[in-house]
Amino acid sequence: MPSSLSTHKVSVARALCAAFALLFVLAQPAAAQLSFNPTAESVHEDQLLKALKEGDKITGRISIPDAMAASLIQPAGRDWRDFQRSKMPIIGGITIIGMLAVLLIFLAVRGRIRIHQGWAGTKILRFASFERFTHWLTASCFIVLALSGLNISFGRILILPLFGPQAFSTLSAYGKLAHNYLAFPFMLGLVIMFLIWVKDNIPGKIDLEWFKQGGGLLTNGKHPPSPRFNAGQKGIFWVVILGGAVMSVSGWFELFPYLPGDVTTMQIWTVIHAVMAMLLIAAMMAHIYIGSIGMEGAFDAMGTGEVDLNWAKEHHSLWVQEELAKGTVPAADTPRAVPAE
Amino acid sequence: MARMKFLCDADRCIECNACVTACKNEHEVPWGINRRRVVTINDGKPGERSVSMACMHCTDAPCAAVCPVSCFYTTADGVVLHSKDLCIGCGYCFYACPFGAPQYPKVGNFGSRGKMDKCTYCAGGPEADSTPAEYAKYGANRLAEGKLPICAEMCSTKSLLAGDGAIIAEIYKERVMKRGYGSGMWGWKTAYSDSPTG
Amino acid sequence: MKSFVAALLFSAIAAVGVSMVLSTIQQPSSVAFTTGGARVGDPGNNLVGPS
Repeated sequence: MPSSLSTHKVSVARALCAAFALLFVLAQPAAAQLSFNPTAESVHEDQLLKALKEGDKITGRISIPDAMAASLIQPAGRDWRDFQRSKMPIIGGITIIGMLAVLLIFLAVRGRIRIHQGWAGTKILRFASFERFTHWLTASCFIVLALSGLNISFGRILILPLFGPQAFSTLSAYGKLAHNYLAFPFMLGLVIMFLIWVKDNIPGKIDLEWFKQGGGLLTNGKHPPSPRFNAGQKGIFWVVILGGAVMSVSGWFELFPYLPGDVTTMQIWTVIHAVMAMLLIAAMMAHIYIGSIGMEGAFDAMGTGEVDLNWAKEHHSLWVQEELAKGTVPAADTPRAVPAE
Repeated sequence: MARMKFLCDADRCIECNACVTACKNEHEVPWGINRRRVVTINDGKPGERSVSMACMHCTDAPCAAVCPVSCFYTTADGVVLHSKDLCIGCGYCFYACPFGAPQYPKVGNFGSRGKMDKCTYCAGGPEADSTPAEYAKYGANRLAEGKLPICAEMCSTKSLLAGDGAIIAEIYKERVMKRGYGSGMWGWKTAYSDSPTG
Repeated sequence: MKSFVAALLFSAIAAVGVSMVLSTIQQPSSVAFTTGGARVGDPGNNLVGPS
């Protein structure tokens, strides 16, 4: 290389180096001296969290096929945790223990509802065997579903201290399996119950009258006229059908997670499932009460299918009249009704 | 006593996924289970940031709170672990976790969803430390050997920091001061309480 | 009594049947979260036990 050119190049190179060095030195310590801030447009967690709407998540791009992984932070999980561990026990406690208290007070004050005229001795068929089968299918599944469900919500507080972790986990695991699989016969029972009984459960004017008289619940000897199902029973029918439908849909979504949507949607469905469950359990407690110890002669309807004639005349007078017209009610001197299986 | 935390410096993360790969390798994490993942916010736009996310080992862990069988426990180091023997695979911990850490071997929530798996801070599980039984269930136990989690150790830019919360927070603050910028300690407000040991 | 026992039996059998049907549509995560291009020969069973 010609020496004059190389010297020139060297001096230019030196100057450039000096310039860079100066720039480097100037750029060094204090933050405020930087003319370029690479983070000026960066996303900050704070601003993203503030911009979130109720239940929304901070999401980004991922390279994993599992779409759930795209969520970086979902603050709604915190609210769901609060509900599950603070509000839900209160709701559950009030509904279930509250209903238990109401029933005990009712039993204490009103006592067992007796057949006013006493037992007739003759019976009349109230529910055929298929109807009883459907009821017990739904009812027995409901009991297991309710207990295993309550175990998920409250078992940790009430049962874990008694059993210890391993036994409680095993119990809960089987409970979860029972809950998941018995849900299907329960849903089938609901459908059949709806089909066989909906026609007798359409609300009508007679039900208003029944409500006006308080169903005769509180006054001894008072029996408002009632068709095959009185207004209280119609109420239970619709509570079971509609509440059961809500349980079925929300439960279905819990069985097949993320079918209705992402994790936020799932949180909502678990809340619906839990709250509806508490209400249904309270309603069924009342139903079981009145059908067993609450009313003399009531259990026979689902037990054997045949009820005492006097019981039927007192509690379902209009239905007895219809059966009379059909010719299925025995004459006063016949000892037994004709069983129609 | 140290209080172990994770800190991902979103301004240094280059989305190389070395942390993900290291974790997968160290614990032989099966296909389909993602203990650690990298999420890129505002991808392709100005201000794009990547964050490496796994279990943050929260102070008041929501997963532990909602578990129906109470299978979670927090070690003396603040690491949130769980017992796969007690887990019934109900999926509640995923609904509660703000960071989406819990992973399940099966998709449907009937029968067996399988035992929940998540980042263990390389601290194994309730089984005896560094035994094959523990490895088969929970993966490697580096903490028992006095080492830090492999994801942070392998981070190519040292954006993912793991260690005592006070120390890594100090490191990050020093960085922010020195370089003059920082987009924050992602997830810390959600996961940890305000105190250095919380 | 007969209808009650029949109902219990039916529920139990239905539950078992349902479990068998549902297990056919259960997917391990290694199958559910695999894109078309990946061919997963051995998904591995460390941490999750045998599938």
